[in-house]
Amino acid sequence: MTVRRRLAPWGRHAALVAWAALVLFPIFWMISTSFKDAWEWVAWPPHWLPHEPTLHNYRQVFTFTELGRELSRSATDQVFNIWPALRDSVVICSLASLASLLLGTFLAYAVSRFGVGGKNFRYAILTIRMVPPIVIAIPILMYYAIMIPHTTTVLFGARLSLFDTSLGLGLLYTVTTLPFVIWMMLSFIDEVPYTLEHAARLMGAGRIYTIRRVVLPLVASGMVVTFLFIFILNWSEFLLALTLTHPNVTTLPVLLNKFQSAVEGRLYGPQAAIGTVITVPVVVLGILIQKHLVKGFSFGMIRR
Amino acid sequence: MARIALRGLVKTFGRITAVAGVDLEIGDGEFVVLVGPSGCGKTTTLNMLSGLDTPTSGEVVIGDRVVNELEPGERDLGMVFQDLALFPHLTVFENIAFGLRVKRVPDAAVRARVREAAEAMRIAPLLDKKPAQCSGGEAQRVALARTIVTKPAVFLMDEPLSSLDAKLRVEMRTELKRLHRSLGATFVYVTHDQAEAMTMADRIVVMDRGRVQQVGPPLSVYSDPANRFVAGFFGVPAMNFVDGEVGTGGQFQAPGITLDLGGRGAVPGSRLALGVRPEHVRLADDGAGWPAAVSLLEPLGDGTLVFLDYGGPASVVAKVDAEEKVAVGDRRRFTFRPDRVVFFDGATGERALR
Repeated sequence: MTVRRRLAPWGRHAALVAWAALVLFPIFWMISTSFKDAWEWVAWPPHWLPHEPTLHNYRQVFTFTELGRELSRSATDQVFNIWPALRDSVVICSLASLASLLLGTFLAYAVSRFGVGGKNFRYAILTIRMVPPIVIAIPILMYYAIMIPHTTTVLFGARLSLFDTSLGLGLLYTVTTLPFVIWMMLSFIDEVPYTLEHAARLMGAGRIYTIRRVVLPLVASGMVVTFLFIFILNWSEFLLALTLTHPNVTTLPVLLNKFQSAVEGRLYGPQAAIGTVITVPVVVLGILIQKHLVKGFSFGMIRR
Repeated sequence: MARIALRGLVKTFGRITAVAGVDLEIGDGEFVVLVGPSGCGKTTTLNMLSGLDTPTSGEVVIGDRVVNELEPGERDLGMVFQDLALFPHLTVFENIAFGLRVKRVPDAAVRARVREAAEAMRIAPLLDKKPAQCSGGEAQRVALARTIVTKPAVFLMDEPLSSLDAKLRVEMRTELKRLHRSLGATFVYVTHDQAEAMTMADRIVVMDRGRVQQVGPPLSVYSDPANRFVAGFFGVPAMNFVDGEVGTGGQFQAPGITLDLGGRGAVPGSRLALGVRPEHVRLADDGAGWPAAVSLLEPLGDGTLVFLDYGGPASVVAKVDAEEKVAVGDRRRFTFRPDRVVFFDGATGERALR
């Protein structure tokens, strides 16, 4: 064995370790900072690990009551804590992801089985996602804040505004993730052989019964993967949430950006604490997805 | 009660005509096999019978009803698919029970009928397994049990044995025939395998290019083919064809072969094709027949295939007794069993000089 060959795996591992360190460092720094008290945030030389670890930041963002003197900082007084934003994020992201999943699954079924939209429809759907969100953010703002309220006032005498509402942001999240759902579910539904549905049909099952008892159970793991995927997308969406909500609805990524104080500057500690809290579900879901993807599909009895 | 009639059945997909006018009557309790090469329209015909495809024109009659407008589930059919189409996420029990569940049969009755069907197909021990845990033959039985459990009047089968290995296929052939006899239902079976057609059918329907070429009992289709396609489709090895024409004396003439037609009314100058099966070609020792060189031998065990180069474009294959002493390079004379020689029109391929 040549020296080069013996060194090749080492070299590869070294490169990967270096890359992993590069990628993971900001996350490490965030977690580390979340346990630091104010004087350590920008200490020089930097404190890699907190010298005096504290849960102060977490207590601050998770507190239920008015902040006491001990916890109060002027910026956190403005933003207060994580609970309203957490509630908004969880409600909007889960409902929007669920709606998108259901709509997208049935749309994908229609595309897969009836060729809805023609041959290139599935690619056309994906190109929708190539539009940068910033392009739609401002026009949607116009609609939400001005045109829809105005129109409904004129027509029905009632002002309906979607600006700064969970419904408004949720609708948009549903729409923007729909292409992903259709695209992903298409690949899963295409895998379900037609003959299974033919067999069910010959046994007298209607279309809905067949979808419910045959197709959906077979693509269930695909639906889970898809749901987790778009949930993560929605969970970390920033631009649309920033543009279309304020002050009533606040999602976590928007909240994260608000820890700014005229007196104390940027409040890195609470920010890092919230960042850590937000990241946890993403990482957990990511691991879940991986498990599901690896498990994959096993249509054992479908001979090809 | 479960007679089937197909009347002027046509199916086109865009510009492609899959089925170009099929008329067929199938009797109650009959085992009919639709056979033909792939793309001949047999599966499309079956799908129109089942209702999975809608005929472009024509009528499908099951029992006394025209069923064109009925959903597949309303036609009192059971079908076994080529890929079996067992539901991979359901247990064998639930697979078999599926049709009963759709019809909202009470739970106790479902259990009794599934058990009965499973016992009939000898798969009772498998009921709690998933289809993926069954062997090929077991899965086959599950698919059959799922079909018989609803007691349909008509069974449709679309190449159900095509993915089994050869030995299992022969076993399942016997099994299917037994099932047919015990159920007394009408079976319509689609296959491209002539052996399956020959062994199982009461009547064979030979199809090619969207049309029925011949309908008849297996042996008559084999020995009395309606045209050159049917003649060539059945038989392993295939029938020998010799292209020639009718000579001025009314005899059949081809390079190397001349055969007296015995006043069968052949028109001199018309083109004819002679057909004879390998088992009806004989090596002659008495100086009769035509000379040829043995170019190849294929021993089969129970007989030997002898390839004879007689001067025509292809060899004539003779199936002779395994004890026959013959070697490559031998010069032998051969004859045809006169009563087993058939003729086809040189242009249309239809039977001639019957």
